[in-house]
Amino acid sequence: MNLEKVIFGFFIVLAMTLNFGFFLGDIDNPSHHHVYELYAAIVVSLIATVLKFGDRTHVGAILLSTSLAADLQLITAAILWAAVGNNMDDASLTVYIVSLSGGALMANFVSVILLISETIGQRR
Amino acid sequence: MNSILFLILRRLRRPLILIIVCFAIAILGLTLMPGTDNEGRPWHMSIFEALYVISYTATTIGFGEIPYAYSQSQRLWLTFSIYLTVIPWFYAIGKIITLLQDTALRIAITTERFARAVKELQEPFYILCSYGESASVLAKTLDEKGMRVVVIESQQERLNELDLAETYSVIPHLCADAKMPENLIRAGVHHPLCSGVVTLTDNDEVNLAVAVAVKLMNPNLPVLARAEREDIAANMASFGTDHIINPYTLFGDQLAMRVHAIGTYILHEWLTDVPGDTLLPPEAPPRGRWVVCGYGRFGKSVVQNLERENITTTIVEAMPELTGCDHCIVGSGTEARTLLEADIENAVGIVAGTDNDINNLSIVMTAYELNPKLFVVIRKNRRHNDTLFRQFNADITMQPTEIIAHECLAHMIAPLLAQFLTLVRNQSNSWANQLISELVSVVGETVPERWAITVDKDQTPAIAELLNKNISVSLHNLTQDPADRNSRLNLVPLLLLRNNVPMLVPPPSTALQLGDRILFCGIPDARSAINISINNSKALNYIVDGIEVPDSVVWRWFRDKLK
Repeated sequence: MNLEKVIFGFFIVLAMTLNFGFFLGDIDNPSHHHVYELYAAIVVSLIATVLKFGDRTHVGAILLSTSLAADLQLITAAILWAAVGNNMDDASLTVYIVSLSGGALMANFVSVILLISETIGQRR
Repeated sequence: MNSILFLILRRLRRPLILIIVCFAIAILGLTLMPGTDNEGRPWHMSIFEALYVISYTATTIGFGEIPYAYSQSQRLWLTFSIYLTVIPWFYAIGKIITLLQDTALRIAITTERFARAVKELQEPFYILCSYGESASVLAKTLDEKGMRVVVIESQQERLNELDLAETYSVIPHLCADAKMPENLIRAGVHHPLCSGVVTLTDNDEVNLAVAVAVKLMNPNLPVLARAEREDIAANMASFGTDHIINPYTLFGDQLAMRVHAIGTYILHEWLTDVPGDTLLPPEAPPRGRWVVCGYGRFGKSVVQNLERENITTTIVEAMPELTGCDHCIVGSGTEARTLLEADIENAVGIVAGTDNDINNLSIVMTAYELNPKLFVVIRKNRRHNDTLFRQFNADITMQPTEIIAHECLAHMIAPLLAQFLTLVRNQSNSWANQLISELVSVVGETVPERWAITVDKDQTPAIAELLNKNISVSLHNLTQDPADRNSRLNLVPLLLLRNNVPMLVPPPSTALQLGDRILFCGIPDARSAINISINNSKALNYIVDGIEVPDSVVWRWFRDKLK
């Protein structure tokens, strides 16, 4: 067992699960989506991105790009929340934010699938 | 560039994760701490506000307590946050600065830049695999002639010189080992515009390695290599090195030429020197008995060539066992006793050919005192001793650096010139003298430019056009001035190569044919003038039949009407 691999896998899976947790719920109901969950999703996603730095393999490059896609959408969601949160009704703002996090979820999902496929390949 | 980016990212992984984690903790804590707004209502900082506060705190900017005065618990958390975030922040900055100063990274960056500079070259270029004394002369001359050069050199100090040198065009250079094939690839061995590789290091093994590598990677690329040992030269020749340059053999050859055909020698010198220099007419070495001090590679070549001219020699050598000479006087030649033993008083010439400049000067000075009528040949090893040698003013100063550079220039600037010089050697001395007087009357006393043209559609479109119209163009036409056909350009055609049959100093009446290659020498102005007549068919038409052809259709029609 390799501690580095454990940490690597942990953060990638955690990024997806947190993202999923935030995404879960009615798309226009603000009470179903907690701000701290988005916060945690962003922090974990950023850490996952940095962990993927410097891997020159092809899979490494794709993993990094999925992470960057997730970061981009999550941070856009956070900026939207911080910048236009005061002058927009809660329901439509929540729709925007949650749909963006849904996009990030897809990217994280791809990332996890790649991780799994690579792991299976290693076993062989 | 890619590999450098990955290198940076990999090294920055730890500090970046540390910053993210510390910021995340500090921001989260700050949003949880209870506070009050201006009216005393309970208030919690939003995540965005907390990010703002922590960002300016961690970077030590410190805007103060925004938007409201903080509560005790917020201040407590912020105190903790300062220590938590500022330290990782500085750690990361320190790491980035160390990374920028990292030698491995800097080498990676300069190598990458060099490779890109070479890749972007749009003109033909030569690769020089050293920047020693002869290579620097070569690089300077090629640069002045508008040819591009790329340099690989393993010693940084020499490249510093190149950095400071004033050049017309940028010379991309890399501090690296030329023996490594990947460095040769970076220097452009596979580049379609690379016109040749020149390896002139003073280490034969390195030259051999470079020559082998280049011939394996790109067999069609011409290679000029310096080799002083015969086994290495033979090895180089075995896999097709195009020109093998041995300064000692070359000098011995030239000395012999000077003894038996001074005219041929002058012609040779004159056509291989750096254009624009003035040459003093050299003196012919006397026939008689010579004393040769130092029987190394240089001494051997001199003795061999002198003996071929039936000149007897007395050899003085400090270590006869090492150099393998049988009948020699043991001693270095720097003291009068050895020279007297060699009967210097009755000799006509002395050759100081050891590999130590100071010893060489000492030898000739001692010999000069014993016999002031001596013809002095001295070997100069280091260029920085130039002043001393100029002070002494020997009859012949042999400098490997310059011999190598001139030989390379002859091959690189005009490949036909090397062929011309070989043919000249088989001609008589009086033939050479006659050619010299003709050349001097046309191009003057300074060393002329040499260049070659090939008669074809690309290089001489005007000639090709006229020949296709069955209008005969003679060599004489090319020596006429395109501005005034009655005046003559200051140039002389030296050699015409037709179907690989050379014609030495072709007569002016020779009619040109497609595929002819012609070697000219002349002044720079003549070279630019001839470019007009070979490129512009109107100018060439005027030269051939003295009629100015109108450019436009209307004027042509008008002229036909007037006829």
